[in-house]
Amino acid sequence: MVKTKRLCLLLLRLLAFGSTLSAAIVMATSHEKTNFFAVSVEAKYSNTPAFKYFVIANGIVSAYGLLVLFLPPESLLWRLVIALDVVFTMLLTSSISAALAIAQVGKNGNSYAGWLPICGQVPKYCDQVKGALIAGFIGVIIYTVLLLYSIHDVLDPLLMQKT
Amino acid sequence: MAPQDGRKPEVGDFISTPSAKQPKDWVLLLLRLLAFMATASATIVMALNKETKTLVVATIGNNPVKVTLTAKFQHTPAFVFFVIANGMASFHNWLMIVMEIHGHRIDYKGLRLAVIAILDMMTVVLASGGDGAATFMAELGKNGNSHARWNKICDKFDTFCDHGSGALIASFIGLVILLIINVKSITKLIKPNPAGNIGLLP
Repeated sequence: MVKTKRLCLLLLRLLAFGSTLSAAIVMATSHEKTNFFAVSVEAKYSNTPAFKYFVIANGIVSAYGLLVLFLPPESLLWRLVIALDVVFTMLLTSSISAALAIAQVGKNGNSYAGWLPICGQVPKYCDQVKGALIAGFIGVIIYTVLLLYSIHDVLDPLLMQKT
Repeated sequence: MAPQDGRKPEVGDFISTPSAKQPKDWVLLLLRLLAFMATASATIVMALNKETKTLVVATIGNNPVKVTLTAKFQHTPAFVFFVIANGMASFHNWLMIVMEIHGHRIDYKGLRLAVIAILDMMTVVLASGGDGAATFMAELGKNGNSHARWNKICDKFDTFCDHGSGALIASFIGLVILLIINVKSITKLIKPNPAGNIGLLP
């Protein structure tokens, strides 16, 4: 029973590492060049600070996820892992909501501010950004589930002692 | 930790409601009050953020053509999310303050601390999401984006931008305080209050 739990946790952390890594890589390689009214328009992720923040945040969290995968199960560092999980989940959610906000402006524009949507001119770039955002969202959900599980895990021994 | 003998039924009762004689945690209460004030002020300042400006767009003959433009927070979904997230965070803080002051008798198998920790965590995550979106949207409004040909709007609507940045700063302060409170409630889960245990020993 304990072994299945440990295997399940390991699988979840592996999935989380995979999704954050793929989100960072897909966003970093999104690049498209096109001609718009005889003006060369180039769309890269580094044009927008929100997308740069998204790549950096997902890179940091995937490095952390890789390190935690190799942690031995009986180590004392698991308390630190719970605390760091909270911080990194917070980082992930803020990065994905920032990237989502800017991507929404890119797709729909903002008529009140006079901002035109750009997805019509660079559709491949928009699709790649969409894919990166979906992967990032999956990473956020998995990290939230892991965090809830950590709290439940810490709580269970306490419940056993009190009853 | 808990003696299983049945001679002293009061001890068992004491364990199931250890908070009956728990001293109020004044530091936590003060932190929650500060967080409530920060998030509530962020919500209110952003929700009342509105600026109307009349601009001269073109000149036909001798008459300038004037256009009245309004900047409201509802125009941007990021700011709407910011208001909603901070509103929910301040509601959570208010609920926690009320529970700290009045709800010490309500407990169910010790789940009270766990529910508080989980709710704190959810609120921290939600508030950080709202902050992130609003920060980068405000940065876009302030600097524009030359690659996408989006003009900056802060040079025309400076009061709107000032109020927005004030609300953002208040929200960040609230988020940091919420994070400290969350870490404190999680450590309360791991180490139960020693004051309750001292009462157990005769």
